[in-house]
Amino acid sequence: MNQRHSLRPVTWLMVGGRHAGIALFTVFALFPFVWAASVALSTDTSYMWVFPQAFIPHKPGLGWLIRVFHEIELLVYLRNSLLIASLTTLGVLLLAVPCGYALALIDFPGRQALFGLIILTMMLPTETMIIPNFLTCIHLGLLDTWTGTIVPNIASALGAFMMRQAFTDLPRETLDAARVDGASEWQVLWRIALPLALPMAGALATLTFVAAWNDYLWPQVILNSQDKVPLAVGIFHDLTGEFSTSTSLLMAAITVSVIPVLAGFALTQRYFLSSTLVGRQAI
Amino acid sequence: MALPGVRPATGWLFVAPFCAVFAVFTLWPLGYNAWLALHDYFLQTGHTQWNGFANFVMLTWPEREFGPALKNSLIFLVLVPMLQIAGLGLALLLHRPFPAVGLIRALCYVPVIIAMSIAAVVWRQAFAADGLVNSFLATLGLVSPQDPPLWFSRENLALYPVILFAFWKNLGFYMVLYLAGLQSVPREQHEAAILDGANRLERLRHVTLPALQPVILLCTLLATIYALKAMQEPLYLTRGSAHTTTALLYVWNAAFYGHQFGYAAAAGLIITVICLLLAVFQFRLLGDQGRLRHGGEA
Repeated sequence: MNQRHSLRPVTWLMVGGRHAGIALFTVFALFPFVWAASVALSTDTSYMWVFPQAFIPHKPGLGWLIRVFHEIELLVYLRNSLLIASLTTLGVLLLAVPCGYALALIDFPGRQALFGLIILTMMLPTETMIIPNFLTCIHLGLLDTWTGTIVPNIASALGAFMMRQAFTDLPRETLDAARVDGASEWQVLWRIALPLALPMAGALATLTFVAAWNDYLWPQVILNSQDKVPLAVGIFHDLTGEFSTSTSLLMAAITVSVIPVLAGFALTQRYFLSSTLVGRQAI
Repeated sequence: MALPGVRPATGWLFVAPFCAVFAVFTLWPLGYNAWLALHDYFLQTGHTQWNGFANFVMLTWPEREFGPALKNSLIFLVLVPMLQIAGLGLALLLHRPFPAVGLIRALCYVPVIIAMSIAAVVWRQAFAADGLVNSFLATLGLVSPQDPPLWFSRENLALYPVILFAFWKNLGFYMVLYLAGLQSVPREQHEAAILDGANRLERLRHVTLPALQPVILLCTLLATIYALKAMQEPLYLTRGSAHTTTALLYVWNAAFYGHQFGYAAAAGLIITVICLLLAVFQFRLLGDQGRLRHGGEA
């Protein structure tokens, strides 16, 4: 009893330190968004540069948020982002699922070599591929098209790798039973293997969607028309160009463009925070 | 192992669509980039001309400033220990359950999923001369409000807010990796250490850290590759001005602003080779036959 008593101040210090640490990291992670939202919601801008008043909306109002929709082609960008990210995700799944299945469960010559190549390219800077891909797209006449934006990204090495891992982990007996019953490999894949590997396919879809949604470099290179660019490109250009003079409008635009991402993240966060996914994404 | 009734041709058929796109947009660029590095490319006509190693020789010219860009990429490596220490620290704080721990983990992950180009716009505002950061530092008495530092235009200063931005953007990712690692630390060892009278710090040093060694190594390698490939952070924050150009951003600028595709390819090839060497190293340590899969022995 006595000993426990003497431990108390130390324990309190540790609990306090722990909470202070957590609070500090959380504030660090969120301050740009809180600041942006607070400025966007202030009708009086006099405190937006002053710490710490800037973090609380001053004379709150929705004026700036409404102006965003009038002055920036936000809905066009949103539609473009949705289309590009959805079609990229669909393409990645359509290519990666059969490829991962064959790499995991079918023995064919060249399998090891192909898998080695796939892993190797995952570690190289994709940014250096932009120059040759740009030239290829000029030759194929894909400049300023969504096809050119999407197709170069659908042969995802990470996708093939993740699906191979998922199919490798499946129980062989179930698959062999289907084969004995006369199912073709194509049927085994879609009817039996894929439903069992659905969590990984979902994780891959989520990852691909976010990556495509956030991509800036490639869409910026390939697309010229203002009405075709996704949110990450369009907003950045508007905000560093003609709207850079109005910080309130800029912060309002940021706030509005971040909201759908946060909503999507809230629904799918278990994929992002699950250790298996991140571990595999990392390798 | 050949499966009964499964023909190799089926395997080829299944990988064919992936391989076709992969060959055109991933393998071909790698080869073409290496080939282009030894040529002059004429954008107007699309012609190429063999120039020996002239592109590589040009990279060594001081007035071309490839050296400073490479140096900035190396300075970016301070990100590696920063991410390990803070990532592990945050994971330790959020490892044991408490109310709303899931929410806080998710909140700390938010920077990872926000488009970098959009987040960077806020950071540019925060680090403006009359921005929030200077206001905060003035409150602490660290800078004078009359003569605030111009973070992005001072040449020996500009790279550091860029690195801080990269740190902010990636911290959540490493937190999750370390959280996963912490889950695999055997409980019995902790309990045994408690019985032996070890305090928290001793348990961290002698139980947790040794058990985490594979994760620490993985994270260090990932962060190293990431830091060497950094280019979007300076592109969005400073447009590569004020001596924040990294090696890969240098490639980008040479290609799309200088229109020297062959020269850019040569610089790109050097970075690719560095990443390749790191990848080989990573395979040795982390692959299926690697040391870590065998308990760090042999």
